Parts: sequence; C-alpha cells; structure tokens
Amino acid sequence: MTDCMIEICGLTKMYKSKTAVRNADLKIYRGEIVGIIGRNGAGKSTLLKMIGGLVYPTSGELHFFNRAAAGEQSFFERMGVLIENPGLYPNVSAYENLNLLAMAYGLGDRNAAIEKLLQLVGLDSKNTAKVKSYSMGMRQRLGIAVALLGSPDVLILDEPINGLDPQGIVEIRQLILELNTAGLTILISSHILEELSKIATKYVIIHQGEFIEVLSREELQQRCEERIELGVEEARAALPVLERELNITKYKVVDSRTVYVYDENIHIRQIVKVLSEQGIMIDSIAKHKQSLEQYFLERTESAGERHD
Amino acid sequence: MINLLKMDLHRFGRNRMMYLLLLLFCAFQIFGIFMMKKYEQPVEGAIPVSRLTESEFIQYNISQPPSWMLIYIAVFTIYFYMSEFNSGFHKNYISMRNARLHSVCSKLIILAIFVAMMFLTMLIADGAGRRLFFDHTALGDLATLITLLIGQFLLHWAFSILILCIAMIAKNLLISLSAGFILALNVIGMVLAALEAQLTGIHLSKYLLINTLVRVKDFNSTADIVHTFGVAAAAILLFGILAVRYKLKEDLN
Ligand SMILES: Nc1ncnc2c1ncn2[C@@H]1O[C@H](COP(=O)(O)OP(=O)(O)OP(=O)(O)O)[C@@H](O)[C@H]1O
Ligand SMILES: [Mg+2]
Repeated sequence: MTDCMIEICGLTKMYKSKTAVRNADLKIYRGEIVGIIGRNGAGKSTLLKMIGGLVYPTSGELHFFNRAAAGEQSFFERMGVLIENPGLYPNVSAYENLNLLAMAYGLGDRNAAIEKLLQLVGLDSKNTAKVKSYSMGMRQRLGIAVALLGSPDVLILDEPINGLDPQGIVEIRQLILELNTAGLTILISSHILEELSKIATKYVIIHQGEFIEVLSREELQQRCEERIELGVEEARAALPVLERELNITKYKVVDSRTVYVYDENIHIRQIVKVLSEQGIMIDSIAKHKQSLEQYFLERTESAGERHD
Repeated sequence: MINLLKMDLHRFGRNRMMYLLLLLFCAFQIFGIFMMKKYEQPVEGAIPVSRLTESEFIQYNISQPPSWMLIYIAVFTIYFYMSEFNSGFHKNYISMRNARLHSVCSKLIILAIFVAMMFLTMLIADGAGRRLFFDHTALGDLATLITLLIGQFLLHWAFSILILCIAMIAKNLLISLSAGFILALNVIGMVLAALEAQLTGIHLSKYLLINTLVRVKDFNSTADIVHTFGVAAAAILLFGILAVRYKLKEDLN
C-alpha cells in the first residue's frame, strides 16, 4: 500500500473559459479503490479522462509510479478505461468488439481471454447480435469487459453502475471487489455516495471542479455513524457510571470532556438520568446521525442554498 | 504499431463500404467507357479516346473533372476514420504507449492500401471496358505507365491524407464530405489558378496538390517528373505530419 501509483498535482482543466477541474491534488496507492463522488457536471469524467490520457490538462502534473507523464508519454502499458459511454462499434457483436481490442493489445490467446471476460460480466459469448441492439445494461457490462481486457494494472470506471439492474449492481460490485483483491487499483466515480460506500477505500468529494474533501473509509464511517455525543466536565468520572448503570460497552473517549456513545438502545434521557443521579454535570448532549447521502449533500450544497 | 495496424486491417477487411465503393467504381468506370464509345465525337487533330493507350487513357480520365476516384477516396477515408471516432472505440486503447501516433500511422497505411486497390480496380475496369467497347487494349510504354501509376498513386494517397486531416479536425461527417467534394472538384485549385492568372504573373498554383494531380503529365520531361513526385512527397509529408500532430494534441472527449 505504500506504492504510489498515481499522483496528481495541481491538475486543472479548462474548456474555453469554463474550469471543469481546478487544482486537484491526490495520491493513489496500489490496491486502493478510490471513489469519486460529485453531482452532474462536477468534473468527475473530466478528471478521469485526464488520468486516462484522453484529455490533456491545462495545467498541473500527473505522475505515474513517480514518473511524470508529460506530453504523449504512455501512462500505463495497460490502463482499462470505461469513461462516459463505452466505446463500442455498434455494427458488430460483443465478441468482435473485444476481438478488435485484443488485436490492438496484441494478446496471445484472444479467444480464451474474450470468452472468460464475457462470462465474468454476465454476457453470452455466443450472442452474435450487434451491439446496437443491446440494452443499456448489457452495453455497460460489455464496457466493463472491454476495460478489463488485457489485465490492466489500473481500472478506471466512470459511473459503471449506470443502467444496471439491482442484481447487476451487486454482481459488478462483487466483481470490483474481487478484482481489487487480485491486485488492481481502481478508480470509480458516482453521483451516489451510498453506492460507493460498500466498496471504496478512499473517497474524493468533488464539487464544481474542486476537491472538497478526501477521506478514508474509516473517516467517512466515523462521520456518518449514529452516536450520542456527550460533553461532561470529566469523562473519567462519567465512564464508570455509564458502564455500571447502563451497561454501555461501545463508546469512545474523544477528549477529556467528550465521550461518544455508540450503543443503539441507549436513549439520551437514560444517560441524563443516571449521570444526574450520580451528581455528574452534563455540559451538552446530542444525538448525531447522518446518512451518507446527507453528509454528501451537506458538503456539496452550493453557496446559495446553504442554510446557516 | 503492428498491433494497431492489425486491428485496422481486420476492420478494413470486413468493411462492406470498402467493397461497395470498389464495386461501384469498377461499374461506373466501365459504364463511363461505354458512354465514351457511344458519344465519341472525333476532334480534329486529336487521337480519338478509343485509340489511346492505357497511360494516355488514364491521364485523359483523371484530367476530366470531377475526378470520381478522388470522390470515392474521400468517402472511404471519412467513413473509415469517422466510424471509429464516432463509436469512441479509440478511447479503449489510447492509454497504450504511443497509441496516438501509431493509430494515425496505421490509418495512413490503410489509406495507402485502399488507394492502391482503387488503382488496381481502375486497371481491371479499364482493361475490361476498353476491350469490350474500344476493342483496344494497348498499354503503351510500360515504363511510362508504371511511372504514371506510381506518381498518381502517391498524389491520390496524399489527397486521402489531406481528407483524413479534414475529417479529424472537423469531427463531422457532413462538413468533411462537403470539403471532400469541393476538393475533388478542385474548385479551390481552379479559382486560385484563375486569380493568379488575372492578378499576378507568378504561376505557383500549378504546384497545388490537386492541380498537379489532374494535370496531364509528360513523363519524358524530367521537370514534370520532379514536379509530380516532388509535390506528392511534400504533400504526404505535410499532411501526414499535420495529422499526427493534431492527434497528439487532441482532447478525446
Ligand atoms: N468537451 C467539453 N467542452 C466544454 N465543456 C466541457 C466539456 N466536457 C465537460 N465540460 C464541462 O466541464 C464540467 C465538468 O464535466 P464532467 O463531464 O467532467 O462532469 P461529470 O462530473 O462527469 O458530470 P456527470 O455526472 O453529469 O457525468 C461541466 O460543466 C461541463 O459542462
Ligand atoms: Mg460524467
């Protein structure tokens, strides 16, 4: 995990006068699953396009394995990308699309690789129908297969779950986790934090082209879990009481005056009652609960909508 | 590079449009010879078309606008490039080492193959048509014919590269097709030549690619050979470099 695969320094992309991504900094380590979350037009696709080498940054640098990727230099020998719509020839079959790409990669045993991949994403390799007759979900699956062809080191998936049915979502999520276990570094974008919360190890919240927050899975969990935040004069005095009287086992001492209680069955008024009975003064007490979505919305509310 | 070329070749081989264009070209070429036979009017002092050798016949045909060959080449070039570009398939392999450079080079080779196939089709169609309707199959001096074919091949290839550049930059089927037609009709070349003749004493427009292409050449004259091959080489280099440079800098959205 100490291996820095991709480093982004001050990456900026302007389209005419519009800034799609502004001054982005990020380090991506081997084996991570990085979730990029943002609303429509936040700049997710643009960021991924720059990393995937489709679009050149206006300024800033991209480093791969600590080497600068200036100009036309190769990024990775094999980077699997699925950005926006899958790039597929509509007039040939799924197999043929993969076959063409396998040729471009110079793969040895094309047939075996293609059949395996089609099976992996749940498509029938015997299906000779043209891709233009595919449903959106089938196309998306094929797009993932295309990105996976040639066993890439890095997989870039832009909203891969778009258009998939619930079973499909579960399958793809499972697939992503398996691939990650096998050693792939994965970048994945979505509008929905919830969707990524089950897989990503690192989250980047992007809004209007800027990274608002980069947090690890643990940090995110911490911010979103349900808890009672208790402020007392001395936490050391309160803890034995809580343990003895209420059997509270799940808690955390944040500092000498603050305790977080995580037991779900405990009510605020129970805590108030036992502590006041024991003569311990409460400075503050509040229930803290925030869903992932709430958390995300709060971060990305635009200035005009902010209500505080 | 080899791998990308293999992929493009595979796509080329299965391209129905390509076979259709060759077939159409062949049919129209033979039909054209039939029409020439039917409406042939003897011009005083000139050899009748039916008595021309193959070399002379090719020169005659190419110099009669519009050059159908150019139109077919333009249609194929635009079709072949745009079908990949519009599908977005290039996004899948563009992160490979030097993929942009190699993909353009591979396109250039495919274009050369197509142009060569056009010339082969033309030779076959001419042979068949002239045999059928003129009952005359003389090739003329072989060395002249070969020089002519190579020269014209290079000029037509250069033209197809120019069209490739236009398709790459315009990113639009209709615009590039219109541009292809205008160039094939040599509107620009003729206008420039006329303006030049009117306004100045210099004669540079004859060195334009398509003006060179349609001009009847005298391969006994070294100046003409140098002119033909010089313009072809310069145009291939210029447009080839332009195409590569454009692709290297392009944002692929
Ligand atoms: N080719 C382009 N030309 C001009 N502006 C562009 C281009 N591509 C993107 N933009 C602008 O850049 C901003 C970011 O676009 P981007 O596609 O990266 O957003 P996104 O986060 O992927 O959105 P979505 O969730 O809708 O896919 C948008 O405001 C968009 O208008
Ligand atoms: Mg997007």
